[in-house]
Amino acid sequence: MASSETTASSTTEPAAQGKVRLRRFAALMIPATVAGGVMVALTAQGVLAAQFAISGIAFTVTADQLKGTGFEQWGWIDNTIQDSPNLQDTGGQATVFVSAIHSGTLTNMCQSINLGAINLVLRAGRNGTPVQATDLVVDSDTLSGDATFDTLAVGQDASTLDTVPGIIGPPGDFGQQAKGVIINHLRQDNYATTAASFTLPGLSMSFSSDGC
Amino acid sequence: MSPSDSAADSGGIPIPPEFAPLSTPSGDEPHAAPVAQPSPDPDTLAPEPEPAALGYSPDVPAFAGLELAEAARAAAEPAEEFEVEPSALHRARMRFRNWRRTRPFWGGLLILFGGGEILFSEKAPFKVILHIGLQGLAGYLLPAVMVLCGALLWFSPAQRTFYSILSVLLALGTWLTSNLGGFIIGMLLGLVGGSLAFGWAPRRPQPTAEAPPATTPPTAAPSAQATPQT
Repeated sequence: MASSETTASSTTEPAAQGKVRLRRFAALMIPATVAGGVMVALTAQGVLAAQFAISGIAFTVTADQLKGTGFEQWGWIDNTIQDSPNLQDTGGQATVFVSAIHSGTLTNMCQSINLGAINLVLRAGRNGTPVQATDLVVDSDTLSGDATFDTLAVGQDASTLDTVPGIIGPPGDFGQQAKGVIINHLRQDNYATTAASFTLPGLSMSFSSDGC
Repeated sequence: MSPSDSAADSGGIPIPPEFAPLSTPSGDEPHAAPVAQPSPDPDTLAPEPEPAALGYSPDVPAFAGLELAEAARAAAEPAEEFEVEPSALHRARMRFRNWRRTRPFWGGLLILFGGGEILFSEKAPFKVILHIGLQGLAGYLLPAVMVLCGALLWFSPAQRTFYSILSVLLALGTWLTSNLGGFIIGMLLGLVGGSLAFGWAPRRPQPTAEAPPATTPPTAAPSAQATPQT
């Protein structure tokens, strides 16, 4: 009888209507929540690094101090996808400069992403442990702060920059590079970041009506 | 209805009368069994009429069971059964409802939304992705496979356990690779959706649906039960 039941259920299974069993749901949901909580906690302690890739959304990064080794910069034009709601007044184009930092630390970082009606605000690196960023490549249209460069080379062809391994600009473009950079009171208005890996000690995420 | 049928049954199948004497202490003959049985038999046979009442029952009493089950179903879902004049739109809705209920629909939908949200939060052109290399590619690969899992949960629900566990793991992974899991929203959608899909299971087959396999064992019950009456 039992065997006939199991065979019948397996054959009619695809057509059988079903529902969610609470205990089976909890059997996966609870460990998954625990694992997610552990990952968030490890990230907030700066043990795990999180990767960011954002494009087409304006976002702002501020920090009390940015210390970087390996710095490159060149001019660029960012194009949005066709019919994008962003950047409509300029035909979907933004004149930006690309800043690449091989590895850097940001003290008291605040990152806000404009989601239209509301800003998502990420804060990290406040309690003595700075945020560490690796291969940070950002397309910015505004960068302000008090900058100090070490071994700065201005006017080098963008395709020959070599202080950030693997990242070069287009040939013929104006470029500049430095071995080291320190920017106090950094404020960047960005359009895109790619392949940036952050450790985020003391991470806090919140939604707020005003950004950084 | 029962006497004639039970007589036919006992005539056709000689096995049940042989079973009955075995359970009773006295009575080696089938003829002696009905006389000696009335006191011990209610004990042994008392649980057996229950399957008949549940609808697992044999040929003739099964009709009553079938009607009962159908009436119960109709009472449970009156909106479905008593629609007057089913229009094309209504039929399409019914077909969609059936499609939706025969697979982990909501779990798959949440996973689709979660993966899509993470991809939307990144939305870099493909040229840029190639430029980033493998490490950056993972940021797009994980949510893309999440979307694939959500779709496969709909169109291949038999493998739902694998797809649901995989999408939960992928959702956890996107925290590291893809903008903190699409700024946590997509990751949470993926976790909840994956668990919902994992928890989804088809109802146990209804008694009416599995009438053919159920008929053979209970035939022994009513014929044996009927023997005391004759």
